[in-house]
Amino acid sequence: MKISVKWLGDYVALPPSVDELARKLTAAGLEIEGMERPAEALRGVVVAQIKESVQHPNADKLSVTQVDIGGTALLQVVCGAKNFKVGDKVPLATVGATLPNGMDIKQAALRGVDSFGMLCSSKELGLSEESSGLLILPANTRVGTPIAEAVGLDDVVLEVNVTPNRPDALSHLGVAREVSVVTGSALKVPQPKPAESGTPAAEQVKVRVEAPDRCPRYVARVVENVKIGPSPQWMQDRLKAAGVRAINNVVDVTNYVNLEYGQPLHAFDLEKLAGQEIVVRTATRGEKLKTLDGKDRVLDVDDLVIADKDRAQAIAGVMGGGDSEVTEGTRRLVLESANFQGSTVRRSSKRHGLHTEASHRFERGADMDAVVPAIDRAAQLIAELAGGTVAPGRVDVYPAPKPPRKVTLRFARVEQVLGVAVAEQEVRRILEALGFKAVEEGTGQATYEVPRARVDVEREEDLLEEVARIFGYDNIPATLPRGLATLAPEPAHAEAERRMRQALAGAGFDEVVNYSFVAPRSLEVLGGAEKSVALLNPLSTEQSVMRTSLLPGLLENLPRSVRHQVEAVAIYETGRAYFQDVEGGQGQRPAAREVPRVAGLVWGLRGGGRSWTHKDARADFYDAKAAVEGLLGALRVEGVTYVPAGPAAYHPKAVAQVKAADGTVLGHVGEVHPRVVKALGLPDGVFVFELDTEPLYAASKLVPAYRSLPRFPAVLRDLAVVVPLELPNDEVRRVILEVGKPLVEDAQVFDVYTGEQIPQGRKNLAYALRYRSAERTLTDVEVNEAHQRIVDEVKQRLGAALRA
Amino acid sequence: MRDRLLALAESARREIGGASELSAVEALRVRYLGKKGELSGVLGGMGKLPPDERRSLGEVANSVKAELEKLLAEAVERAEAAALEAQLQGPGLDVTLPGRGVALGSRHPVSRTMEEIVRTLSRLGFDVASGPEIELDYFNFEALNLPKDHPARDMQATFYVDEATLGHAKKADSSVLLRTHTSPVQVRYMLNRKPPIRAVMPGRVYRRDSDITHTPMFHQVEGLLVDKGVTFAELKGSLAAFVTAFFGSDTRTRFRPSFFPFTEPSAEVDITCTNCAGKGCRICKQTGWLEVLGSGMVHPNVFTSAGYDPNEVTGYAFGMGVERIAMLRYRIDDLRMMFENDARFLEQF
Repeated sequence: MKISVKWLGDYVALPPSVDELARKLTAAGLEIEGMERPAEALRGVVVAQIKESVQHPNADKLSVTQVDIGGTALLQVVCGAKNFKVGDKVPLATVGATLPNGMDIKQAALRGVDSFGMLCSSKELGLSEESSGLLILPANTRVGTPIAEAVGLDDVVLEVNVTPNRPDALSHLGVAREVSVVTGSALKVPQPKPAESGTPAAEQVKVRVEAPDRCPRYVARVVENVKIGPSPQWMQDRLKAAGVRAINNVVDVTNYVNLEYGQPLHAFDLEKLAGQEIVVRTATRGEKLKTLDGKDRVLDVDDLVIADKDRAQAIAGVMGGGDSEVTEGTRRLVLESANFQGSTVRRSSKRHGLHTEASHRFERGADMDAVVPAIDRAAQLIAELAGGTVAPGRVDVYPAPKPPRKVTLRFARVEQVLGVAVAEQEVRRILEALGFKAVEEGTGQATYEVPRARVDVEREEDLLEEVARIFGYDNIPATLPRGLATLAPEPAHAEAERRMRQALAGAGFDEVVNYSFVAPRSLEVLGGAEKSVALLNPLSTEQSVMRTSLLPGLLENLPRSVRHQVEAVAIYETGRAYFQDVEGGQGQRPAAREVPRVAGLVWGLRGGGRSWTHKDARADFYDAKAAVEGLLGALRVEGVTYVPAGPAAYHPKAVAQVKAADGTVLGHVGEVHPRVVKALGLPDGVFVFELDTEPLYAASKLVPAYRSLPRFPAVLRDLAVVVPLELPNDEVRRVILEVGKPLVEDAQVFDVYTGEQIPQGRKNLAYALRYRSAERTLTDVEVNEAHQRIVDEVKQRLGAALRA
Repeated sequence: MRDRLLALAESARREIGGASELSAVEALRVRYLGKKGELSGVLGGMGKLPPDERRSLGEVANSVKAELEKLLAEAVERAEAAALEAQLQGPGLDVTLPGRGVALGSRHPVSRTMEEIVRTLSRLGFDVASGPEIELDYFNFEALNLPKDHPARDMQATFYVDEATLGHAKKADSSVLLRTHTSPVQVRYMLNRKPPIRAVMPGRVYRRDSDITHTPMFHQVEGLLVDKGVTFAELKGSLAAFVTAFFGSDTRTRFRPSFFPFTEPSAEVDITCTNCAGKGCRICKQTGWLEVLGSGMVHPNVFTSAGYDPNEVTGYAFGMGVERIAMLRYRIDDLRMMFENDARFLEQF
């Protein structure tokens, strides 16, 4: 809401500085978000009268003038313009001023003649785009006056951020009331009393309200013999300051009164209303109306309209219609000042995409008590400015007046809720200044009648807020809450998540955060589109379904980096995947199933970029798997197995299911399927993993149990076997550990080799075995025996050949 | 024989003295003292000598052997020292080559900021809670004192979910949406617990806005404290404590009356500009203050939704946008960078 400070001054004495006013209003809850001060740019420019003008001795095109700016002596100013005569009043930029176009005014000698300032055109003052010659001011302008004042630019406009609960502050009078409360100066409320004559209004127009619940009050007045024309400059200036365009004297008055009282008004051309009657009713299905903005609207049965005998003439509280618009030829008006139900106006406003000054106020709640003063004020102003005669009386349809709301305040609650003792006397002063009237007194409490403008005040807490904001938040002390009953436990998974992140960071993975919504296509490509939850009103198709996997985001991040010559990408994200839930939304159950996950992607050069140690090696499946193993290790999740199987998004020959010891599938790690790579335009060799974190955290052992150190030395032996290519390492290892029991403590594969000396279709696996007994130091003979047994079994069971 | 022994000793002394390399010393050791070495060769004939001579020659031989062993040991030490010296004098490693291994990964600034906020609040005794992002209108709005057609709903442009894709029957009067704030977690949290309550609720939220200063998804951290006799003064104290703990002890707070449907009274909380310390700069639009938190006393209607008696308990709630705080913290000037996940952006954190 734009508030003109000059206008505000009509109703209340203002603090000496606008900054102080802004600070006080902000502290009381009317935040001043900005200020327009056009006068600032014109500082140093004053009204001067030309007393004398002679030809410049050395320049044909220049004159040397002597001007009066109200000082003791005349000033000599050299001037290039010709459009003035002696006696004219013109703007003078004095020495030291800076014009809006950036020009600094200095004392100068122009062709040998001293000049103390510059006489200005309206363009030079930034008042117009074009101008020829000096700006000649009206003859009655006072010499020496700052130019901003002389041209009506000495106002300051406050940008007030009015929160949705405070429609009472959507007007100059409303803001003035706040000013009077915070400064303690009296509020001067206008008391309009239009002079009436002619045929009573009730005989000229009939008003029928068919939907009184949606239009609790409708007041009409008739003004005859108006003469449409422009409104006076002062009114146009004020409207402009408030951001409203001037149209004609009648429309300007309705807008002006709206900005003054916060009560939207509308003027109909009475001659254009069929049957000279007004019906407030709901629209019929398919009913049409051309609104003032020139658009043809098809109305809905839920729209409330102002109609004449035949058809809709306005959408109630939103916008008038073109057919009954006030135009140059209008002579007889009917003014509307009504109160419409907020939700009705809001629905119509949304439905038709029409947000207007009127709808903005009605949907927040207009002041029932402003309806009459506003229409009287408007009638009076129209009579003054458009020469109309106001017909006697108002047509007032107000079938069910409601008494004002009453709210009781227990004075002790002030300290209980705010934490500061505010004297009862001060509490009473604040509430009364705000217009609350104490109508009943009780022990330690008072019941207040709430002004109808204060639609936000319904209960005791609302009164407490009034007290708090006027008393001043700054005057409430800051204290820490009293001691803790218990120490809040750290959430179960916080430490697990922290360790997981550390492990991933250690493995070189950068964290990313992607949107939760993705393009349906990215899910289809990955084979996860079904069971996804879609948005009804997405910003774009690209962000229209909730992800069922974290992979689409990561796969989208990759090309962005590749495009910027990044040669190694390792990223991860934690977040949720979203799925349908057939039992969702019951009671407190969430509407959808949200599964927390961690996913990672690795592509390109191993180790983060080219390096002399990695020799341009490229990341592969085992780099992705290392990240998974790393995070499982950090969480001490034990007994995890990798089974070659996975969803369609992965390369069928390079994917593993990650299985917890109890058989739960935690997720997958593998290469992205070549078809997906192609479909998404990715570079080759993209490896990803995605795991559910809940079972992961559940399986973690963040506090491991210590095992005592072995007392006897280990014996190390290597074992190399040539086995069929498809035989997994895990099976060989299993046989070694099983046969070697209890002496083989561990068997680590340390070489995998195919090629020369190894038959086609086979590979060589080499294991480092660690023998140890818990009871004694092992002898060579014992170890040799055990090793031989293992060699024989591996040969026999796995068809392996022992390698020389 | 004695002469041969002495000659041997003499030549050995000379040669050992002149040997500078370990291999040469070793060769001399074998040559003179080895099993088939020269000393053994000389002493081989000793058995034929008469006992007297044998004894005296034995003494000489032993002393020669001992002497040679000592000389050899010294020579070894000398050679080793020389070798080490040579090595230490030789060419060094190129210590400017980078170390072997993997560059550490980074943490996303939003996620790190959110964790730090939560950690700071945990020190004030707040438990951590979470809730669904795909939320019922009821929890996101109605239970928070935002009934249908409430103008304040405009403050939060909402994404609605196509209920045909939810896999379950539509509930008569509650549409499904992406939560517009973390506040529905307050209600869910209270419904399942009795006061006193202290909880902090971090998470993703969504609003249908996308321009230079808005992204359709962002993060909030919400805090809630409910107990008998909680006051606005404590809200001020807690948030001031949070602000100094998080932004630094010089940071001051300012509370301004504002409006949120779920609190009453409500306050916006400004902090002194983290860039100019309150002097006024571009970041704070010359005001010296930055708006970082919304807060207030929990509205009685919210307590009623949660099944609490507003006459029994009071409480405060507050919320903050994580992106904004991350931008201030890391001096990021373009919000949109946050979710583009450009590697060149990420590696800076």
